Amino acid sequence: MTVLFEPGRELPLVRFGVSFRVGRVDEPAGRDGLARLTARMLRRGSRTRDAEAVENTLDRLGAELSARVGIGATTIRCETLSRSLDEAVALVAELLAEPRHAVDELGRLQRQTVAEIVRDRDDDAGLASRALRRHLFADHPHGQRVAGTRAGVGAIERDEVAAFHRAGYVRADAIVAIAGDLSDEAAAQVAERLIAGLPEGAPHPYAIGEPTAPTGRRLVVVDKADRAQTQLAVGTLGTHPKDADHVALTVANCAFGGTFSSTLMQAIRVDRGWSYGASSSLTTARIRELFAMWTAPAAEDAAACLALELELLARLAEDLDDRAVSFAKNHIRAAWPFEIDTPEKRLAQRLDRVLLDLPDDYHANYLDRVAAVTLADARAAVRARIDPARLWIAAVGDESLRASLEVAVPDLVETIVLPYDAD
Amino acid sequence: MSFAHLGTLAFGPRMRIERYRLDNGLMLLVQPDRSAPVASFQTWFRVGSRHERPGKTGIAHLFEHLMFGATKTRPHGELDRVLEEAGVDNNAATYLDWTFYVDSLPSEALELVATLESDRMENLLLEEGPLEREREVVLNERRETVDDDVDGAISEALSLRAFERHGYRHPTIGFADDIAGLTLADCQAFYANHYAPNNATIVIAGDVDPDAAARLVARRYGHMAPGQPPPEDDRREPEPQAERRERLEMPTDSAQLVVGYRAPAMAAADHPAVVVLSEILFGGRGSRMHRRLVEELELASEVDAYAGFFRDPCLWEMQAVAREEVDLEALAAAFDAVVAEVRRAPVSAAELERACARIELSTLQGIVGVTGRAEQIGFCETVVGDPAVFFERLDRYRALSPPDLLEAAERYLAPERRTVLEILPGEEDLDAEDEEDDA
Repeated sequence: MTVLFEPGRELPLVRFGVSFRVGRVDEPAGRDGLARLTARMLRRGSRTRDAEAVENTLDRLGAELSARVGIGATTIRCETLSRSLDEAVALVAELLAEPRHAVDELGRLQRQTVAEIVRDRDDDAGLASRALRRHLFADHPHGQRVAGTRAGVGAIERDEVAAFHRAGYVRADAIVAIAGDLSDEAAAQVAERLIAGLPEGAPHPYAIGEPTAPTGRRLVVVDKADRAQTQLAVGTLGTHPKDADHVALTVANCAFGGTFSSTLMQAIRVDRGWSYGASSSLTTARIRELFAMWTAPAAEDAAACLALELELLARLAEDLDDRAVSFAKNHIRAAWPFEIDTPEKRLAQRLDRVLLDLPDDYHANYLDRVAAVTLADARAAVRARIDPARLWIAAVGDESLRASLEVAVPDLVETIVLPYDAD
Repeated sequence: MSFAHLGTLAFGPRMRIERYRLDNGLMLLVQPDRSAPVASFQTWFRVGSRHERPGKTGIAHLFEHLMFGATKTRPHGELDRVLEEAGVDNNAATYLDWTFYVDSLPSEALELVATLESDRMENLLLEEGPLEREREVVLNERRETVDDDVDGAISEALSLRAFERHGYRHPTIGFADDIAGLTLADCQAFYANHYAPNNATIVIAGDVDPDAAARLVARRYGHMAPGQPPPEDDRREPEPQAERRERLEMPTDSAQLVVGYRAPAMAAADHPAVVVLSEILFGGRGSRMHRRLVEELELASEVDAYAGFFRDPCLWEMQAVAREEVDLEALAAAFDAVVAEVRRAPVSAAELERACARIELSTLQGIVGVTGRAEQIGFCETVVGDPAVFFERLDRYRALSPPDLLEAAERYLAPERRTVLEILPGEEDLDAEDEEDDA
């Protein structure tokens, strides 16, 4: 068991959570969504409380319970008024160790989850993001949707939920994270109480391999009629946080699409008014994860906007200059206090270090590594990691967009058209 | 230019706010917190989309975009560039009653932020080129948040049908035709009329010394002359007399029931009861609507509500999203039954206790960081003139009794006070007509 604690007495609030290194990747074939369903079943009844009693207790305490399920990790988190801490810990400990897994509640949750999947179709940006991931990562676990599919969620049986819980929610793999209005001694007691009822088990092995970069430029059009604008997501693989050039690529990304003053926002929004937002992002995980550009131009500007994005990406290394790199480094350094200004944020950094298997001094040395990045480093990182000839492009819009988008992408090797309501 | 320290207010159980006023009417609220080297500097203007007139909708929001442009001493883009290089995250928002500009800063950047913010309050350059570019950006923002966002489109449709005259009738982002027609002269007049020190409050939360911050603000803003903001809106909305109901088709896979009850203004004596009632009905998985519509009957995939915190009587908006194959009439009947129950019999003491605890938690969660804290202070000061009202409200919530809530339910959940939209999947069939109505 690992225990992390960040005190903060400014407000009478405590946040505590337990993480396990188990997630979407651990689901058996055909049971897509099992990890999330297992986490969400915790609040649907325990040994002494049915689902309604759990909700009423949480509300009476002034407490909120949430579950965050990812590809390789699950976190069950509770935030409570500090006067209710004792009862909140007792409740969450019972939910973790003794979930009821009632069949009727499981059926209700499955139907609810399927309804949510349908509702998600209204979110065009989400459709673009999921289409990009699904194709960029292909069969890799990071391409799979944590919520699962309608078929997968519907097929899950009660015993499968119980088995997934039994195997994954164990003391040996538990990371307890606590922040807020309590003492060191009280935090240690909270940690022990939270996992007291869990079986010892064994640490969960990390079994996610590295993804493969795409070959060529490929386009997926998510066909949704009558769209006034086109959600565009353009992505390829980025870096692993342990890569020697990860920080240099982070600096380059900041200069390219990380702020309002960055290249993408200036070229697309400020100079042309094509999109309300224009940004790029670099996602960190235990594997080489996503680098992506995000825009939402009017449908009639989509092809021109995409062409410009690809051109800017192709020129990224050569367009970087000392001024841009200096700007990005200064921004990251000066804004750093906002990464650690609350107990919750400091705790999140520590939890990241554990879950991503980063060195203990990763964040302590972070600004020194940013300061050391040179223009040559940033250019080299872009050239080594971001290959503008190996991309997936996801666009949400009418299928008729396809022809103009294909023209906007030189050397396109493949186009796929998907209905927006495919799971 | 001098300033006056008007007093110290308690802000929650462990914090305080210092209130100052400059001679030109600019209000300053400082909430010191030395726990981290960060602060939030926010400028709240008492102008929002409710001040707009038919044909000129969207100007408050479009003008907010223009405030990031050039000034007499700084070229276009320098504001963002200089602030971002100093580690400052700057942004802005406009809504019905207010517009605010927010800088989340490392505390070492306080002087820089005050300098740049005061500069754009008095020296903004308004020119045709930037206006045209921002007009395009705003039209794209409208496509993203209304045209291609079914919830945004529904919200717009609901207000248009629930109000006849008040400025709350039209959307803050404005109608596309109106946005296209706004002129440079409109923007210049808007700036002159509303962006004066006596129509603004500056809020600073975080790692600052209050008196030093007041001296800094006086130095940067003290020379500005007070303005004469136009008189408050006189378009009083008549009390609703009968239910309004309409069925609309929209491009979505999920049918919805959307209901807006005319609710009291935030400062009204009944508003706390409405907030607690809303929590009992919609707050979390233990709420009455969630239990009945989502869990027991499985008619809805989600339910939600917002009790409305506005200067004038506005809408208490409620939403229930139907599951596939669910008949909207069955959903509406179940919804109405829950509303009828809360109008027929008092809620239990346990429900009241749970609602108060949930509200207390969310109040505290809203002020965990300096940015959220300053936002809560600026919002409350701008809408009701009391920056700590959310904490005073906690006592008022706890003082409510089940009969108080029954009385509020009988009054504010009366059928004649509501506008109902039944949203069905299909081709969109509004907007064009709505906009013509309003132009």
